[in-house]
Amino acid sequence: MNESFWIWPLALFALTFLLGIVAVVAGVGGGVLFVPIVGSFFPFHLDFVRGAGLLLALSGTLAAGPVLLRAGLANLRLMMPLALAGSVCSLAGAVVGLALPTEVVQTALGATIIAVAVLLWLSKGAETFSAESDGLGERLRLHGRFLDHANGVHLDWRTRRTVLGIASFAGIGFLGGMFGLGAGFANVPALNLLMGAPLKVAVGTSGLVISVINSSAAWVYINRGALLPAIAVPSILGVMLGSRIGARLLHTLPAPVVRRTVIVVLALAGARALLRGLAIWP
Amino acid sequence: MTHQQHPQDESDPQEVYARWLDALTHIAFAFSVLALALYLTGVLAPFVAPQALAELWRLPVDQYLARAGAPSGWGWLSLVGRGDYLNLAGICLFALISLVCCARVIPAFLRHGERLHAALAFLQVAVLLAAALNLFPGAR
Repeated sequence: MNESFWIWPLALFALTFLLGIVAVVAGVGGGVLFVPIVGSFFPFHLDFVRGAGLLLALSGTLAAGPVLLRAGLANLRLMMPLALAGSVCSLAGAVVGLALPTEVVQTALGATIIAVAVLLWLSKGAETFSAESDGLGERLRLHGRFLDHANGVHLDWRTRRTVLGIASFAGIGFLGGMFGLGAGFANVPALNLLMGAPLKVAVGTSGLVISVINSSAAWVYINRGALLPAIAVPSILGVMLGSRIGARLLHTLPAPVVRRTVIVVLALAGARALLRGLAIWP
Repeated sequence: MTHQQHPQDESDPQEVYARWLDALTHIAFAFSVLALALYLTGVLAPFVAPQALAELWRLPVDQYLARAGAPSGWGWLSLVGRGDYLNLAGICLFALISLVCCARVIPAFLRHGERLHAALAFLQVAVLLAAALNLFPGAR
């Protein structure tokens, strides 16, 4: 095998291992960090980076899923309607993303990532959460209980605004499929601020939703031939190992510090993608 | 009473989903590690040589496919004996996990009398299956 060739896959493995840890703790999904960073600083075409980004976010959330489900931090019943709406729209997003010119997607990606960084900077998780649910939420049994290790008490929760929540996940799914992102940056505020799920349940369930939504969009990239194993496999293995550790560190790592670091990295990577798309910094 | 109060209830759909997710993810991970080892060590020769790939991965996907002579759709199955496409098989395993888990919780939801969630899981399986088989409009 050519030695210089393997520098890139090895660099991807190292990068994605770190991203796996950071993504779970910060609740942003690995794809939102992976696509702008790798798309801007690695030699791969954006088509393959987006395909790998979807798989990376998918595999990271698959790996963390069992731990989060058993801890009650991810809720299967809450995931089902949101993932169904999101996965249908992510298929459409993936088709649109692969049909558009690269510069357009690169520019839109840069603008989206910068907007995400601003959104994360401005948004604060709701300290309180919904105590009452709506009619559809009751029918779907969108409620649960989890042990909050921060204060050692069991918290009962319910969600509200179910229809709006489902509509939001449809829109988020489209963007995720188009840009190859996990879209945890939007899932978590939608679950927490809009639907009233506790922040930790929002982060955990967001991961579970991503694992389903990205599975559907990933097939578009696989069927188009836009998934190169030399890019995707080292990324998947790196993020899976990292996110296993991240899921276990969710209770202990200083999330605000990780979150601020992620915001800075996102802003830089988004600016780079935007400048590249506009041919200012090719 | 909430469903998460009894994580030890092995018939609860959430626990069933977690168990299958855990097992399938481990299988896909082990397969991918093995496939990567066969690829890296050169035991299975790749369809696209590494030096050529280092040039081709800079191109848009349509140009890449044309220059490399690589297949799209499920055409890769005939090349699964090559190192790079064996790794693609591992990727497909990851993309199939949610489909299998959603299918597995349908009977679990029905046993718990949750027909609405069983129907949602069924629809989710249909969407994922259509995506995998390239059956939805605009996919080709």
